[in-house]
Amino acid sequence: MAILIDETKCNGCGLCDHNCPGDIIHMDAVSGKPLVVYPDECWYCGACRIDCPENCIKIIFPLISL
Amino acid sequence: MSFNLANIPEHHITTDVLVIGGGSAGTMAALAARRQGLEVALVDKAGIDRSGCGCAGNDHFLAILESGPEWDTKEAFLKWYHRLTQGLVDMAIPEKVFLSRIKRMVAYLEELGIPMRLDATHNDYIRTGSFGQPGDYFINFDGRKLKPTVSAEAARAGVKFFRRINITDLLADGGRVTGAVGFDIRKGDFYTFLARATIVATGNVTRLYNNQASMPYNSWHSPYNNGGAQAMAFRAGAELKNMEFVNYTLTPVNFSASALNAIVGMGGYIVNGLGERFLFKYHEKGEKGPRWVMPWGVYWEIKEGRGPCYFDLRHLPEEAINHLLHHLLPVDKNTFLDYCEQKGVDLRKDLLEVQISEGQLPAFLGSVSGIYVTPECATTVSGLFATGACSVTVGSLSGSMCVGETAGEEAAKFIYRDKTVKPEVPKEELTARREAIYSPLKRQGGFKHCELENKLRQVMTLYVGIGRTRRGMLTALEELAKLEKLFPDVRADNLHELMRVHELRDMLLVAQLIARGALEREESRFGLSHYRGDFPTSREEWHCSLHQCLQGEQVVLKRVAPSNL
Ligand SMILES: Cc1cc2nc3c(=O)[nH]c(=O)nc-3n(C[C@H](O)[C@H](O)[C@H](O)COP(=O)(O)OP(=O)(O)OC[C@H]3O[C@@H](n4cnc5c(N)ncnc54)[C@H](O)[C@@H]3O)c2cc1C
Ligand code: SF4
Ligand code: SF4
Repeated sequence: MAILIDETKCNGCGLCDHNCPGDIIHMDAVSGKPLVVYPDECWYCGACRIDCPENCIKIIFPLISL
Repeated sequence: MSFNLANIPEHHITTDVLVIGGGSAGTMAALAARRQGLEVALVDKAGIDRSGCGCAGNDHFLAILESGPEWDTKEAFLKWYHRLTQGLVDMAIPEKVFLSRIKRMVAYLEELGIPMRLDATHNDYIRTGSFGQPGDYFINFDGRKLKPTVSAEAARAGVKFFRRINITDLLADGGRVTGAVGFDIRKGDFYTFLARATIVATGNVTRLYNNQASMPYNSWHSPYNNGGAQAMAFRAGAELKNMEFVNYTLTPVNFSASALNAIVGMGGYIVNGLGERFLFKYHEKGEKGPRWVMPWGVYWEIKEGRGPCYFDLRHLPEEAINHLLHHLLPVDKNTFLDYCEQKGVDLRKDLLEVQISEGQLPAFLGSVSGIYVTPECATTVSGLFATGACSVTVGSLSGSMCVGETAGEEAAKFIYRDKTVKPEVPKEELTARREAIYSPLKRQGGFKHCELENKLRQVMTLYVGIGRTRRGMLTALEELAKLEKLFPDVRADNLHELMRVHELRDMLLVAQLIARGALEREESRFGLSHYRGDFPTSREEWHCSLHQCLQGEQVVLKRVAPSNL
């Protein structure tokens, strides 16, 4: 899962997609909302969350890394 | 996939300076070259505003401020740096690329509004020391806005940004590097950059070794730095240096995050399963010793049955633990406290178990491995400069920014010295490069990139990881050669995967350079970094650097005498 986006709060600005250093998040052309396309390649860096204007991204660590 | 292979749009950009990699070093390099009045293209496979190891912020800014004490002088720094790198970094470099610039760099960041003075009461710096430093070299600062701020400065100065372009190869004309090619990882377009000077700055090399959680992207430094600069420079004929020294650190268990500097800098302890502080057995400075001492000590404690090992912060005074929890840890790794919370660890009361991280080619202070450069950041190939963590200079964040600035200025000087040069590239070379870039998209069947990448990590971890022997290295080279043979069968099903395939190509080359260097260097040095069980001590005859370069198809190795102060 890696990161969880609260779609009810998300305004579709695309900053998380722009900021992710690993091309993990892609804005969905249809819904206009971010999709976590490559969760297995997430670095857990938090760059997507840091500038999110709606503060709607949560970092979820998988069990194996806890 | 919407993108049509038969009709790939092409973009041809001609510029004065091309900077490949828009992280801490590359962005400064671009800005510095632009300040010299040149056209600059800054290219990154990510978005630049927040890419690279500093994407979500760093918290320690190494600086010599000449504030009074003996340790805060250039002389003391040089002595320490020479000791730390054991003479394997050219000692003419730190003065030129770092010491002469660092005070101005700190002032510049303050002008940009980066919070450098965390001591609000006295409007002063808070500084801490670690890793064997003779004093408190690290300014503790809030670097969360550093990367976007400096990127905005570069954009304002007129640097042209090319985002999401994965660069795959340098271009050369008559022995001189004249630019690079790459592709847009979202649209697929083909890009050619022709430049009078090219600077590579793609950082360190990760994803080469397994970690405990078996999550290759859960790495200490950015998992999206894969040796692009080192591999491209090597293929173009540049010399690489001391590639055998792979580095380890201590991280929280199963979470390869930076934290060690903050923790030992604030006086945290490292204890074993018996509750003992044990590092003094391995180094007289204990937790204040060089970084390599800590994974080295933990390795032996666990091996001898005294594991697991832990960070212990319970003794820290309230002020120190508050500083760690509020200013350092959540900046050092933005998600650190999320991890603690989800794991159920309260650092005021609980021990935090540690692990030895996966190995990586270094990116920090005291790095002796990477692209060999002169104090002017020039590689051994004309027209090609290297800067930041991929080069052997002064690592770390502040080091990378200062070295970046140096590379930008020196590339400009190089251009102004010879104004007549027009960068060119034969048409056939471009056609061949283009063909090679996209060929994984045309394959059916074959392997996925992760299949080869997993095998690569297995081989590196088994034979070229912690504890090495001649036989292991020969096995690794054989296995890596097999993977090299399989590489032309690797397919990509979309553009994102195409980027990963090109990363794999560079990692495969770097892995072979590491194994070859490690086979050659018959001694041990820097703890786990290069521990040859068949030559377990450091040896006088190996007190030197080992350079590797390509001549034709042949890899040539040479020993270079250590540098004296
Ligand atoms: C979490 C963390 C905390 C840290 N904290 C500190 C600290 O407090 N103090 C300190 O001194 N150091 C710290 N460091 C280290 C410091 O961040 C690095 O030393 C520094 O950022 C290196 O700069 P660089 O420009 O060489 O590489 P990076 O900043 O990593 O930039 C490399 C860039 O190259 C791009 N790239 C890679 N391959 C390609 C390609 N093929 N084509 C195009 N672009 C490419 C990447 O996308 C990236 O943007 C930390 C590192 C991490 C990961
Ligand atoms: S940054 Fe936040 S608000 Fe903007 S698209 Fe991403 S999740 Fe939505
Ligand atoms: S945590 Fe980092 S790597 Fe993961 S999605 Fe967010 S920005 Fe991308």
